Amino acid sequence: MPSKRKVIALILNILKYAFLIAGAIFTVLPFVWMIASSLKTPAEIVQVPPAIFPKAAQWSNYKVAWNAAPFAKYLLNTVIVTVCTTIGVLITTVLSAFAFSRLEFPGKKLIFSLFLATLMIPGEMLIITNYITIMKLQWIDTYQAMIVPWISSVFYIYLLTQFFMQVPNELYLAAKVDKCSDLKFMLRIMVPMNKQAIITIAILNIISSWNAFLWPLLVTNSDGMRVLSHGLIRFQTEAGASYELIMAASCILVMPIIIVYLFLRKYIIEGVTRSGLKG
Amino acid sequence: MKFKKIGASIMTAALAVSMLAGCSGSNNSNGGKTTDGSANTAASADGNIESCEVTFWHAMAGEQEKTLQEITDDFNSSNKYGIKVTLVNQGKYNDLQTKLTASAASNTLPDMAQAYNNWLTPYKNKLVKLDDLVKNDFDNWDDVIESYRNECSEFGFVHALPFNKSTYVLFYNKTMFDELKLTAPTTWDEVKADAKIVKEKKNIEFIGFDDMAGAVEATLKQNGVDYIDDKGALFDTDKGLETFTFLSDLYNNGYARLVGEDSFFSNVLSNGKIAAYVGSSTGVSYIDTSKGWELGVAPLPGNVAKAANTAGTNLVMFSSDANKQKATWEYMKFLTSTENTTKWAIKTGYLPVRTSAYKSDEYQKFMADDATATASYAQADSFFVSPTYDASTDIRSAVAAKYEELVLNKSDANTWKKELVDTINSQY
Repeated sequence: MPSKRKVIALILNILKYAFLIAGAIFTVLPFVWMIASSLKTPAEIVQVPPAIFPKAAQWSNYKVAWNAAPFAKYLLNTVIVTVCTTIGVLITTVLSAFAFSRLEFPGKKLIFSLFLATLMIPGEMLIITNYITIMKLQWIDTYQAMIVPWISSVFYIYLLTQFFMQVPNELYLAAKVDKCSDLKFMLRIMVPMNKQAIITIAILNIISSWNAFLWPLLVTNSDGMRVLSHGLIRFQTEAGASYELIMAASCILVMPIIIVYLFLRKYIIEGVTRSGLKG
Repeated sequence: MKFKKIGASIMTAALAVSMLAGCSGSNNSNGGKTTDGSANTAASADGNIESCEVTFWHAMAGEQEKTLQEITDDFNSSNKYGIKVTLVNQGKYNDLQTKLTASAASNTLPDMAQAYNNWLTPYKNKLVKLDDLVKNDFDNWDDVIESYRNECSEFGFVHALPFNKSTYVLFYNKTMFDELKLTAPTTWDEVKADAKIVKEKKNIEFIGFDDMAGAVEATLKQNGVDYIDDKGALFDTDKGLETFTFLSDLYNNGYARLVGEDSFFSNVLSNGKIAAYVGSSTGVSYIDTSKGWELGVAPLPGNVAKAANTAGTNLVMFSSDANKQKATWEYMKFLTSTENTTKWAIKTGYLPVRTSAYKSDEYQKFMADDATATASYAQADSFFVSPTYDASTDIRSAVAAKYEELVLNKSDANTWKKELVDTINSQY
């Protein structure tokens, strides 16, 4: 005969799992919907009431979508841009966050406020001025036009500065006593201690860089420089859209991200949960 | 803490202002160097063109892009000057518009582009004037449909050639109409009568409008009322009220609906959830009749007058190099020739831009089987183009948003009129 306490624990457990399962379903549903829709006929896509799964899987949608644009080239470009911006962001973010959190230099607070002030300017306002800058540098239609403007992010600097500030100053002073240089202290102590936060920043940046649409479109002209998100608009016109092809192309677009996720799952989950708890 | 906040906001404001100033400053200095402040006059055509590359920014996708590429390949291989036209897909209309605006500000406009007139107002001075070319080196300007000619010379000079033109038509479920013994409505009264029967017998809405701002303008014109001019709304009259009585009654009686999550009424019509809708003639390829119903297409109904919106962009030239201007002109002529506008129209569902193309055997044959083309042509006399003012783009989006709100609030005709007038006037 189980004790009352055990019964309560069991019920709580059931509730907990029911809640988690429901959450998981809600999270996975759009994804399943995307895959299912990518295999539908145009008629099934707009059918009311909607059916989740197609009667017969239209694998040809993938072929049509893949052939509608040079996706292989787009994929390569997207990977190059994403990898370069992410490396750039990590370097600038770690260095500035370290400077703002540990180093003492004149005008530190003023510069930090200036940085924060830029966060309040909507990105749309900067697009034209940034475009003019890129044009004057004669960078139109190059990788650096898509990479350089995005290799620093005030938001990430702000985020990481807060994490760095939580590292006790005693560690820094102790390191100084041991004649450890600032750079060495940063790389040996600060970075490993805030690994999760840095991984979170990398993930956020990979996602936004992977999905970027307007800026890469603005600064490129040739088909050979375009990125994956540009492939998606090939299926939309002023009068309608071929949703099944958009979904097929979307599946192609997210596939690499999912593969990366599967490999780095451990770090990502650690990064997100721990940094979440800290923040 | 408080001081910090205030300091930050002041700094933000200062940054914003300096950035704006920087932006407009660079515009002016750049503009002054390459243009003289008014539109450029094109080089005269002397039949002597050096081989060069012409860049054309467009926003065509799918079948449209494929056909454009075909015609362009044709041009590249057949022109005797060695002109090579490069097509650059710049996304959708909005993206193309953003990119053109940015390029105008930095003087990096392409040789030619597709554009709506209302995009061009901020950088009209960068357009190449085509008057002389049209007069001396164009095969019969009068052959081009009149409303397109007017649109292409709206700024007081010829600044464009018409290209991918469409019009709004009434798509309807012919099977359902036949079953209920209805005919396609030609007047507002018939719309109301048909809608009542559909509501009673089928319990679905009768009509919807893909483009709400366009619907307001067309409906006003159908009642003999003008929409806007360079100072504000023109329909604050009894006739205007009558127009909105018609529109608001449609929605409040359950005869019309908004498209909402379905995005385009082609989806709604395909599912048999509406009897008819007003939408772009190019949307016909998205109407799915595989469930065994027949599609009917009719001209837009009218009241005291007939009026049908036309949509679609024109070809404009920005090139400042004399040789490139001549090369670009060769290509623009090629795209709008009777032969190619016919081919373009048949393959994409856009409308030919020339009367001779409509009359060609090829197009006549195509029209015989194509209800959309027939309906579009039947209303060619009542085509109108929205006039362009500085506030045009803002008015379009503001009116669409207000329209939705009025429908959802089940507002009466007076509220429709008052709020739409206020919405429009506040954009100037």
